[in-house]
Amino acid sequence: MGIVGILVTLLGFVIAVASLGLTQSVGGRMGMVLIGLAVSLFGILGIINPAYQKNADWRK
Amino acid sequence: MRSILLSALFATALVTGFAQTPAAPPPANAPVTLNDLKNVDTPKTELKLKGDPDGGLTGNVSDIAVSDAKKGLSVPDVLNQIGQNKIAINFMWTLITGFLVMFMQAGFAVVETGLCRAKNANHTMMMNFMVYGVGMLAYWLIGFTIQMGGVGGVANLGGAAPLNTEWAINLFGKSFGLFGQHGIFLTQGGTYDVGVMVVFLFQMVFMDTALTIVTGSAAERWKYAGFLVSSFVLGAFIYPLFGNWAWGGGWLATLGTNFGLGKGYCDFAGSGVVHSVGGLSALALSIIVGPRLGKYTRQGKPNAIIGHDIVIVLTGCFILAFGWFGFNPGSTLGASGNGNLRISSVAVNTMLAGMTGGFGAMFYMWMRYGKPDASMSGNGLLAGLVAITAPSGFVNPVDSCIIGLIGGVLVCLSVEFVDRVLKVDDPVGAISVHGANGLWGVLSVGLFADGKSNYGGAWNGVNGSVTGLFYGDASQLVAQLLGMATLVGFVFSFYFVVNLAIHAVVGQRVGAKAELEGLDIPEMGQVGYPEFELKSRAVGA
Repeated sequence: MGIVGILVTLLGFVIAVASLGLTQSVGGRMGMVLIGLAVSLFGILGIINPAYQKNADWRK
Repeated sequence: MRSILLSALFATALVTGFAQTPAAPPPANAPVTLNDLKNVDTPKTELKLKGDPDGGLTGNVSDIAVSDAKKGLSVPDVLNQIGQNKIAINFMWTLITGFLVMFMQAGFAVVETGLCRAKNANHTMMMNFMVYGVGMLAYWLIGFTIQMGGVGGVANLGGAAPLNTEWAINLFGKSFGLFGQHGIFLTQGGTYDVGVMVVFLFQMVFMDTALTIVTGSAAERWKYAGFLVSSFVLGAFIYPLFGNWAWGGGWLATLGTNFGLGKGYCDFAGSGVVHSVGGLSALALSIIVGPRLGKYTRQGKPNAIIGHDIVIVLTGCFILAFGWFGFNPGSTLGASGNGNLRISSVAVNTMLAGMTGGFGAMFYMWMRYGKPDASMSGNGLLAGLVAITAPSGFVNPVDSCIIGLIGGVLVCLSVEFVDRVLKVDDPVGAISVHGANGLWGVLSVGLFADGKSNYGGAWNGVNGSVTGLFYGDASQLVAQLLGMATLVGFVFSFYFVVNLAIHAVVGQRVGAKAELEGLDIPEMGQVGYPEFELKSRAVGA
């Protein structure tokens, strides 16, 4: 799952950068960058960290 | 009669003395001629031999370097001296502020060590000590080249012309600068240059600040060999890459010229480049190495593991606040010309945000837990300073206070979130102080930049002042958000993957026995306080 989390985190970055080529409007770019940021945060907080917490020492 | 005379005198004074009548235009300044230069009086030798207690005789026309002794002083000599004086002022300013930033290493060292337990004091201190050398070596070998090798000259420092080669790709029809190519060993590509040396020193101490942030979050369990390798990679590749994109003429800096997004990504002194990079790296590493033994119960409830010396923690916070006067005002890279007198404003913004940050955290903790927590008050000060680092050159004092205050509260909320919800162990709060508040600082440029700064009339190659959403430019906010997305999406991922590899090859975490015993003997071979008897206290002791 950690690898999936990394890919999702990177995907968020790609979405944000893609906003530069896909739209000219400030609002459109802002929307896409915010989506990208949210996807990256989900990758870290929602996938990578829970994957590591599953095997944390304190659970044993 | 007397009162009439007084009234008449007062009326006369109003008209002649006090009234704001336009003054007569001054005579036009005559151009300087060779005769003017020849006729400048210089103090006589007999006078100088008597000494110069009031300084009135020292420093005059005879001190100007003359290019041709036979011809004597010429106008070009005077102009060259003026130009060199300007650059000398800027060299001095940048170097001295760089020295202040270097001293922040001592602040970080004692803050982190004080917040850790005494049994790990030597190990924590040693990481903070050696990160300076490891980072410098990495940066000298390759990092500086990647970050600044294509910056294209620094006008305040006389050009630094050899830093002129950026490797770029073409994307969406625009050039995306990715990394610089001049500067290896500070000799390659003509970089054995006085201006380049100033840029190197200043940027190197910034890079080392980012590296030392990570040592705090992974303290008390980070294997020393893993620390060395990880820090080297961060200083050689990861930090410089984002540094290039933001400060070295890379693609984030050119968002304004290429895509019309404000003045491009603006990060005056490094809330993003330094603190977010350090804070997000700290988050990645803390996830990989896991919490300290005893930090969480089997039910996942966090235990407080208290540091051993709050006195030295707050002393360290003061050292850091002092060093921040180098960090932010020094980022003008000069004190003379190009709007650089704004250093006063930058310095005041810095101190104000630190103050409100400290208050924000102190009152939050007081209201929530009934006591004004000392370590969180210190972290609040640092949070305010981190938050104002990016906007310090672009905002006014009132907005600085707001930015710092939000930073002070944000650090408390973030510490609770990281500790209780994410269950990521961060002994010193580095993720919250530097990661969360670094991102807040980057964002706040896009909100609060007031359009009043003017550093030579342009920023990142776009004419005009940096202006945020609240002052009329929404596109600047987009540039800032894109910088944040790059930090969270790219920098975190890059550092995470690299450290997974280091974890597999070198190992990142010490064994349980060493951790329980304390890392000083197993990792360093010597305890931090040999004459003290260390007693077990609370959990994980």
